[in-house]
Amino acid sequence: MSTNSRGVSRRRFLEGAAVATGALGMPFVRTARADAPTFKAGVITSLSGENILGGNLTKRGYDMWADVINAKGGVEVGGDRFKVEMFYGDDQSNPATGADAAERLIVQNEVDVLFGPYTSGSTIAVQPICQKYQVPMISGSAESPNVWKAKPEFNFGIIPAVDITAGKSLAVLAKAASPAPKTVAVIGVNEPFSKETGEGFRDGAKAAGLDLVAYELVPAEGDLTPVISKIAALKPDMVAVGGHEEPLINVVKTSKSLNFRPKALIMHYGVTDPAFAQALTADADGTCGVVVWLPTVPYKDDLFGTAKDFADMVQKKFGHEPDYTEAGCAVSGLVFGDAVKRLGKKPALSPEDRVALKDAIAETDLHTFYGPIKFEKDGDHFHDNIQPEPVLVQIQGGKTVAVGHEGGAGAALTYPLPAWK
Amino acid sequence: MPESGFASILSNKQSEPKNGEQLDLFLQTLINGLLIGGVIATFTIGFQLTFGVLHVIDFAVGGWVVLGGYLAYYISALLKLDGFLAIPVAFLLFGAIGYLIGPILYNVRNSRTARPELMALALTFGLFTLLRGGMLTAWGFNTHSVPTALSGESLTIGPVTVPMIRVAAAVFAIVIAGGLFLFLYRTRYGLAIRATAENRQNAALMGVNIRRLSANVYGLYAGITAMAGVLMAAIFSVNPEVGLRYTLFAFFVAVLAGLGSVGGALVAALMLGTIEAFVSTYVGSSYSLLAIFATLFLVLLVSPRGILKRGL
Repeated sequence: MSTNSRGVSRRRFLEGAAVATGALGMPFVRTARADAPTFKAGVITSLSGENILGGNLTKRGYDMWADVINAKGGVEVGGDRFKVEMFYGDDQSNPATGADAAERLIVQNEVDVLFGPYTSGSTIAVQPICQKYQVPMISGSAESPNVWKAKPEFNFGIIPAVDITAGKSLAVLAKAASPAPKTVAVIGVNEPFSKETGEGFRDGAKAAGLDLVAYELVPAEGDLTPVISKIAALKPDMVAVGGHEEPLINVVKTSKSLNFRPKALIMHYGVTDPAFAQALTADADGTCGVVVWLPTVPYKDDLFGTAKDFADMVQKKFGHEPDYTEAGCAVSGLVFGDAVKRLGKKPALSPEDRVALKDAIAETDLHTFYGPIKFEKDGDHFHDNIQPEPVLVQIQGGKTVAVGHEGGAGAALTYPLPAWK
Repeated sequence: MPESGFASILSNKQSEPKNGEQLDLFLQTLINGLLIGGVIATFTIGFQLTFGVLHVIDFAVGGWVVLGGYLAYYISALLKLDGFLAIPVAFLLFGAIGYLIGPILYNVRNSRTARPELMALALTFGLFTLLRGGMLTAWGFNTHSVPTALSGESLTIGPVTVPMIRVAAAVFAIVIAGGLFLFLYRTRYGLAIRATAENRQNAALMGVNIRRLSANVYGLYAGITAMAGVLMAAIFSVNPEVGLRYTLFAFFVAVLAGLGSVGGALVAALMLGTIEAFVSTYVGSSYSLLAIFATLFLVLLVSPRGILKRGL
């Protein structure tokens, strides 16, 4: 072991330096918290990597809540208001990195609550970290049913799992279409969320009495021409696709290049993203999607106002109409604010407070601009909010309109789709 | 229970096309495979040329593809012009940038540091990361599409539908490969390139300015690859994250072809495209990458210098 001239070992010197640095730093940390107590919220999402688009949508939703609540003075607890401080962790579109980021937010930033990642894969990876440190996480995006099957004690989901929404949507579409479709082909991109969306469509097709002529899982990197050619040869009435934005765009482009257009094309996430219609322009028209929220739904709350008010806020701040992911993420903050208010604990929350916060979140029964929020207490969708009804939408004239929702502004479904121009 | 793989294949048996349509599907699959092979070849040819001369595996290849795609997108979106008009612009613009980067790569590759080939590899990986990060910062994360005169156009020959834009890409690949062959085997400068690829020291002794030649070759490669990017964005779509996919495919094709073999790249790309199409159609799309990896493995086992045995 190396020693310096005074005989102090290098290791001891470094230990001493570390302790001294920590001792010097700690009073400032404590003073900062004591002077301006704030609730610390950690956001883990995909700020780089292949899911950067969705990751930024989640971040915008969470930030929207923080901006609005801070503008009102902060979260109300016992008559006082406490501002919210946001911390961010990038999962780099990689679940393992997401778990590391969550741990850093909890240990280094000492967050009181976590807001969950964009992808289900990262959400599942972060759950054990939440359990280990007993920090509640509210997920405004994760839609895979597998997120809830393991009954995560500290994780809560705002958006209903995709097996519920995708499955129901085919029945709604089949009911709205005339003449009634009889056959359907399902494509799912082979990654967790998209595959489960495909499975939701597949099971929904069977439940709706449709004949499933093909069920294809495709690699995210692969060329879609072979699978679209194969499906075209089977001449299904409807094609349902589980995937994110890029494969969805490529499905439409490939179908057009092969001059194949089913009577109905339904996708899940991504259709309501303005980038989808912008990328495809007129070719996007007629594509159906499934959402759990639209700016036209007739819900409201005291913080954001109506769904339309929220949409206007996002439009003003970010320059685009929000989709349901942004809405779900903004509502995650609302759920935290409601729970901590009921709990009556001021920042910073102790470990015991965080466990009590988890219990308070589990008892949430809220009506928001997003719709009703109430978490399941048992079953395969444990801690998921399955209250919202899926809304069938279709792109018509470049705009996304509801075509199958009782509460939304219903437009007539374009069916069958005309041949490609 | 999730139905995938063989369960999916079994479930699809009841819904397969009828006998008369089987032949149609076979022909369609063959055309699909050859065309996607041609598409893949477009960005692999320059990659091979660079390896042959600079002895560098350029991980930045996907970055050049995406840059070409973005150029086409902005030309079509801002100037309201056909995306294909970006092809010559991409060649000139990114060719010039490549010409400036080439000497840096040459210096690193020929430096006196230990393992300069790994340093060069790290440099291209760094360049790729820089390009990807720069594009994300500058242009955001949305996926874009590039409209062209051939977008959505198809030719129906009997039972087979041929997407015209893929035909254009395949023709582009053939023209580029043919042009490169003529250039390499019918011009004095091509002779200098081949001589450099074969033995750098001897070429230098014969009066070839290796440094300038490397800059020219890297510029040529960057220009060709960016042109291919225009086609990629028109056929598929473009966002900053798709570059890695093209880098991997270029590498797969290069290994199958034999590193440095331009002719082999065309053959290997057509082979991989056809395998992917047939496996996707008749076995299941989820097995297509497995089939590609298995093919690579077998070829490396039997013929480590690639399918034409002309690789380095």
